[in-house]
Parts: sequence; C-alpha cells; structure tokens
Amino acid sequence: MKKQDFFSELQKALEFENITFSEETNFKKIDGFDSLRVMMTIAFVDDKFGKKLSAKQLFTISTVRSLMELIGLENFEE
Amino acid sequence: MIIETYFPSKKLTNTDLETIFPDWSASKIEDKIGIKERFVAEDNETALDLAFEASRKVLKQFDKDRIDFLLLCTQSPDYFLPTSACILQNRLGLKTSIGAFDFNLGCSGFIYGLALAKSLIKTGIASNVLLVTAETYSKYLNPNDRANRSIFGDAAAATIVNNSDVNNIFEFDLGTDGEGKDNLILINGGMRNKVETTYIEWEDEAGNLRSNNFLFMNGPEIFNFTIEKIPVVVNNVLLKNSITMNDIDYVIFHQANKYMLDYLRKKLKIPEEKFYNNMLFTGNTVSSTIPIALKDCKDRSLILPGNKVLIVGFGVGYSWGGTILEI
Repeated sequence: MKKQDFFSELQKALEFENITFSEETNFKKIDGFDSLRVMMTIAFVDDKFGKKLSAKQLFTISTVRSLMELIGLENFEE
Repeated sequence: MIIETYFPSKKLTNTDLETIFPDWSASKIEDKIGIKERFVAEDNETALDLAFEASRKVLKQFDKDRIDFLLLCTQSPDYFLPTSACILQNRLGLKTSIGAFDFNLGCSGFIYGLALAKSLIKTGIASNVLLVTAETYSKYLNPNDRANRSIFGDAAAATIVNNSDVNNIFEFDLGTDGEGKDNLILINGGMRNKVETTYIEWEDEAGNLRSNNFLFMNGPEIFNFTIEKIPVVVNNVLLKNSITMNDIDYVIFHQANKYMLDYLRKKLKIPEEKFYNNMLFTGNTVSSTIPIALKDCKDRSLILPGNKVLIVGFGVGYSWGGTILEI
C-alpha cells in the first residue's frame, strides 16, 4: 500500500477529521484515542492487511511509523 | 418456540451518562456503540426477579403444569447455593417432579441453552423445557466505569422449547477457549479471590478505571477474538447443516456493540437487510440479546414462518456457539 494512501485511510478509519497523518504523527496523543479507537485500528489492519494486532501491541506503540512496523514495512511503498 | 422478555423499569439514558460523566459524549455512544438507553435493575431487584417476570409472561401462553424441565442461564445468581433455578421453580409454582438447574454462561448462554433443551427432549428426559436467560451485569460495574455502564443493560428472556420445536433447531457448532478468561472477568467475589473491603482503583493504558472488585472487559481483545472466531463458527454451522449462506434468510449474532457487528457483517459479506444490529434501547443484555432479537424480529415480521435464521452467541469465557433455527 502506498504510504500516503495508508495515512489518509487510517485517518479516515479512525475518524480524526482535522488532522493530517504522517509517519511521525503520534496518534495516541490525539485526544480521543480510546478503547473504541483501538478497536477501529484493529479492524483497519485486519481489513487492509489481513493481519491481527493485539490490544497490548497497540498500547505499546504511539506513532504511525511504529504501527507500520508492526504491520510490516514490506507492506508499504513510497 | 414462544419467547417473552422482561426489562427492569429503571432506565439509564445516554443523557444521564453525560450528566454523570461530563467528558463522555452521548451522541458518540449512540453513533458508535449503537445504544441510547439501557435498563438497570433496582438495588433490591435481582436477575432471578427478572427471570421470574419473563417466565410469568411466557407462561400466560403455555400451561405451566406441562413444563417438565427448567434451565436458568445467569452469572448473577441470588446465592452461590441453593441453585436459583430451584427457587424459580418454587416461585413459578411449577411441578416438583421436574428437573431444574442453573448454568453459568454469558453471551453464548442462549445457544448453549438451546443445545441443552434439544438434548433433553431428544433423549426423552423432557418434553417441554422452560429456558430462561437473566442477567444484571449492572450490579458488577464500577460506578465510575463509564465505558461498561454505557454498554451493558439488564434483562431476562423466557423461551419455551418443546417437542415440535426440536426439529426446527438444527445442528450446533460449540466452542470454548479459557485462554481468554482475563478479557472479561470479575476477579473478586468468587472462591478464587475474596471481595476486597478496601480496594485499589487504577487507570489502565486504555484510560479505563479498573478494580478487582468490579467487572473488567478488554473490548479490543474481545474484538480480536470475534473477528477471528466468528467467521469460522458461521462456516462450521453452515457445513454441519449442509446449507449455504444463500439458504439463510436472516442472521442474528449476539448484540455486543454496533461497531463490532457492522464489521463482522461486512467481513462475512452479509447484506444489511438480512442482518440484525439493534441494541438501541436495551444495551448489551448478555445471554438475553439473541432471544430479545428473535422476539423483536418476529414482532416486526423481519422473520417469518419457514425462515432459516442463523444465530451465533460469543463472549465471556471465551465461549461461543451457533446454530440455525427454522421459524
């Protein structure tokens, strides 16, 4: 998946309307990143990449980049 | 299969929750979780009381002297002993020559109840089973736990399963994985850990208030469990019954929350018009969500005689099960 597409689709999936995502975005510091948004992240990764992430993994990361690393950087292109 | 439901009279609305928790958005609860109101038992009202009222309603349509077995699914019994089903038998004035017992399951409870009822009837042990699901999770919740107070509602459902119903209950797929025990648990109060008279509360990484004296649910992990397991269960139920999804007229899953159900529906490619997703006025009533949904569907003619309805329950345990009913 193209990185730019990943950023915009993730932002849309998490319903953070006024923020433009990048690799450095610390999405967990955005107000409103709660259990429901963790679920939405799990759903997004399952749907787009067929990959299962645990809630524990998601609570240990913070930036979009670190989420990409969990998914596997080989899944992304510039 | 005759089904009746009963809800306590006290309601907890999203507006009430916004008043209690000013940072909590009522519209977000309704929009994402799909719940506007939920019923909450009074302090002196137990799951057994709800079970009694639901049973009374259903027994207006069926001679109580014909009931020869009583099954009560609850995780909030009146006492550790005696069995709440025994007390219910007495309160309902059912014959004493019947079998009765409680079984402790949550969201999969109705499915397991049907499996038990079918087995009792098929083996000739019973002919007319009164299957009751009744729950008051509200009593297990920390008053400061806004997330779980938004989700769970109290209710009971009473279903009569008899000889003529049994052929319309198809083959089951059941499953259990105790690996998931910590993801929906009330740690204290049973035999493993006593209730702490002075308990510690702490905020976990998700921002949820936790305490071992109250119910804890790891929503995201349970979500993971459902997206992994439920497609497999659906497939197994269809295979065991030599049926395809095209033959299924309607699908009712345990009504956990709107977001999860929406995701499962899309993942399984089930059309919206064939899929029940409604807990707007009840919340997640645990083992009663499926019978409540069945009754609602019948009342609104969403399901009709002759329809094949796929039902799947899943959750605390982990425990899960599915079958098909021909209405």
